[in-house]
Amino acid sequence: MSHFRTTAEGIQVDLSPEERLFLGDVLPLLAGIGAPGSDPAADRLKVPVYLDDPEASEEWWRLMGQDLQTARQADRAIYQRVVSHEGTTTLDNEEADAMLRVLNEARLTLGARLGIDVESDHDDLPEESRQVMDYLGWIQEELTVELMRSL
Amino acid sequence: MTLFCPEPWRTAAPSELVDRPPKVESPGMGATATSMSTRPSPVIVPDTDETRDTDKPWQVVVWNDPVNTMGYVVYVFRKLFGYDETKATDLMLQVHHEGRAIVSDGPREQAELDCFRLHNHGLWATVEQ
Repeated sequence: MSHFRTTAEGIQVDLSPEERLFLGDVLPLLAGIGAPGSDPAADRLKVPVYLDDPEASEEWWRLMGQDLQTARQADRAIYQRVVSHEGTTTLDNEEADAMLRVLNEARLTLGARLGIDVESDHDDLPEESRQVMDYLGWIQEELTVELMRSL
Repeated sequence: MTLFCPEPWRTAAPSELVDRPPKVESPGMGATATSMSTRPSPVIVPDTDETRDTDKPWQVVVWNDPVNTMGYVVYVFRKLFGYDETKATDLMLQVHHEGRAIVSDGPREQAELDCFRLHNHGLWATVEQ
């Protein structure tokens, strides 16, 4: 059974205490992302926008980078409320979208640090790392399915 | 840490033989493209503002990524651009099999905004003309 269900009030979230505890660990993971050049996760999240023009890329990031970081922080605040809530809770689409983006950011972060360069690298991960990626992907896919219903 | 996962979950079938964003040298950012690309890089033709065609639309390109799931990418294309399921799926498959797909085009400002929205969803997007 999915952890998410679309109702008249919104998307209902039902996570066990153990799952909420685990999913809560995503937040310090993201808060601990280092600087580009020193952390593969930061490099993945700050990729060039103009491949043929480094100066234009720098300018884009100078103009957009802070807004992007602010948006990500807002998403994480919503995510924290969701995973901190005991029992069932209901999200509107914007809140569900925020949770989806945080889950995706967490997988990108882990994927970069684990050195996943091609899809098949996933199969070669240590068992524990693979299970974490699988679990986060499973939750993300369930939520994606519910959000897709609203389109 | 041990987690229960009821069924194996995969991002997608292997697709190593697809294009990747070319290797670029950009302090603080170039390392990313380098680390995620193990294939030979195409030659990058230098381009300057003087050579830009002001009448030519700017294109937003989404590149293949080994972590983002197919379903998530389809959802993002549908949500951000209003594409129907068929078009969004076709674009996702183009990204997956060919390594990249043009997902929108228009004036430079709109392309940069679309790029922002895609980055906000964790997709690897670039702008080109």
